[in-house]
Order: sequence, then structure tokens, then C-alpha cells
Amino acid sequence: MSKDVQLLIIDDDPDFVEGIQSILTKAGYAVDVAYNPKEGFKALKSKKYDLLLLDIMMGRGAEGVMVARKINKDPVLREIPVLIITGIREQMAFLFPGQPIHPRFLPTDELLEKPVEPDFLLEKVNHLLELAKEKKSN
Amino acid sequence: MALKPSFSTEISNLLYAAHGSPINSCIQCGTCSGTCPVANYMDQSPRRLIGMINADLKDDVIDCNTYWFCASCYHCTVRCPADIDIAGVMYAVKRYSIWHKTYGEDLVGPQFSEAFVKTIVRSGRSYEPLLAPSYMTHFGPKEFFQEVVTASKMMLKGRIPVLPPRIKRLDNFKNMIRKIIPLGESS
Repeated sequence: MSKDVQLLIIDDDPDFVEGIQSILTKAGYAVDVAYNPKEGFKALKSKKYDLLLLDIMMGRGAEGVMVARKINKDPVLREIPVLIITGIREQMAFLFPGQPIHPRFLPTDELLEKPVEPDFLLEKVNHLLELAKEKKSN
Repeated sequence: MALKPSFSTEISNLLYAAHGSPINSCIQCGTCSGTCPVANYMDQSPRRLIGMINADLKDDVIDCNTYWFCASCYHCTVRCPADIDIAGVMYAVKRYSIWHKTYGEDLVGPQFSEAFVKTIVRSGRSYEPLLAPSYMTHFGPKEFFQEVVTASKMMLKGRIPVLPPRIKRLDNFKNMIRKIIPLGESS
């Protein structure tokens, strides 16, 4: 995979970010990181990204959902595939014990739950990038 | 590329919506500690907690009980000369502690918060008899009995409802929760 594939991670957990960043960099992707939704949105506006890896539980609550909805409303940013990586079930499980995350609570997302298997992560990233390419060529 | 954030930046990030409330502008005047009604019960005063966050003493901050004892009266926030939302900081450290599961098992705070949020999500209102078990078990037998007597008297006077209260249009409220928290049955 060439370095010209640009990924952005928006996640507030520095240790988790360090992990997936090294996995993705080793696989040959160029990875940028934003540690809060505000910075992340700024980065999205300033540069063209091929894929966004987004956390849900940030800031004062589920601010990742707000970021994802904001992206959906923006005609340019909407084109970026979004891969949601979240530990929300761990963090909020007491509210809805045993119940799943909404399978498609946002129309563009793929969803992975923390902790993530490196191979599975790379597979999902590749899959989303290919889907986006296909969509572009059509 | 953003640098790996320090602990104080992590806590600031948890205050994301509270723009203009930078904890590093604290001048350590101690107004918050002087104002705090529960400062006597805390391991570290609010002033020291903010100093510790700014010094990136992550383990010491997480281990102390200060933020769980915060009564959320917001008096510190109102009086802070540096305009820091100190009660907001307490909530941020609570979130950090809950999300990273670093709190002690014997603490009342996390259990109480959990029970409170659960009752709100289920019925839209808090209901004391459901909240009580989260902290009653920490009482001695005498205090426990005292609490039961007080609660029964309040119930007889109608200050505590016998049945859990519900808000009107509960389904609308539940749908709203589902919009915010992408968990549970899909809407």
C-alpha cells in the first residue's frame, strides 16, 4: 500500500491511538491523529483524507456521534468513508445490558469494537478504501 | 501530526465543549477549596487536584477521592477568578475514571451514578428508593435504620412517591436517548 493513502484517527485515548497508529503505519498508510473532536474537524477541513477512524466516547459524552452526523451533513466530507472504533459497549453497558450497538446508526459507517484485532482492522480498512474507490469510479 | 497529549491535555479534551475553561490558567488561589462544602472529606482539596492535573500526576489524581466527593454545587465554578469550570473538571475526571475503569470497587460514587442514569433512562425521573441501595450498603446498622425511618416518614408525608414517577411522553424521551447513545435496540 502506498503512502499516498491518508487516514485520520479521531480518538481521545492516546494509548489506543498509539497501538492502531503503529499497525496502520506498518501497513504503509500515512496516518494523522487528532485527540479531540474539535481538532479532528479542523484536520478534516484542512486536508483531504481517504478514510476516517472515529471513536464515539469523547469529550463530554458520545461526541463521536455528533462528529459523524456533522460529516454526514457536509456534502464534501460525506464522501469520506468512516470506520467507527468504539468501546462504548464496555463503557455504557450498564444502560442496556446485553444489547447490541445499533447496527447502522449512521448510514456511512462500519463499526468495530475495542479491542481490535490488527488483521481484522486492516481488512476492514482495505475493504472500506476499495468500496470508496469503486464508488468514485462509478 | 498532533503530539501524544499529556494527562492534563487529556482532561482538557474531556471538557471539549467547555471552551475558554483552560485548567492551566489556575493561579492556585485556593478559592475553590475555601468554598467547597465537602472539602473536609476529600483526600486532596480541589485546588490541589487542579495543581496535580497540571503537573500530570495521573496516578495520584485517579487514586484520590476528591472528584467522587464533589457535590456538584458549582460554588467553586462561580467563584473561580480564573474562570475555570472546576465542577466540570471534576466531571471530566469522573468520566476518565469510569471510561478507563480505574475507580475502586468500594466507592459509592460510580455505583450511585450508574443507578441514577439507569433510572433516568428508564422512566425519565429519578426515584430515591431505587437509588438508595447503591449507597445504603455502606452505612452501619444504626445509620441504615435511621435512613429507613426517615424515608418511611417522608413517604407517609408524600415527599417520596410510593410508585416510581414517570414523565409524560416517555417513548419520545427514550427515542431521544437512543439518538444520543447508539446502544440498545435500534430506533
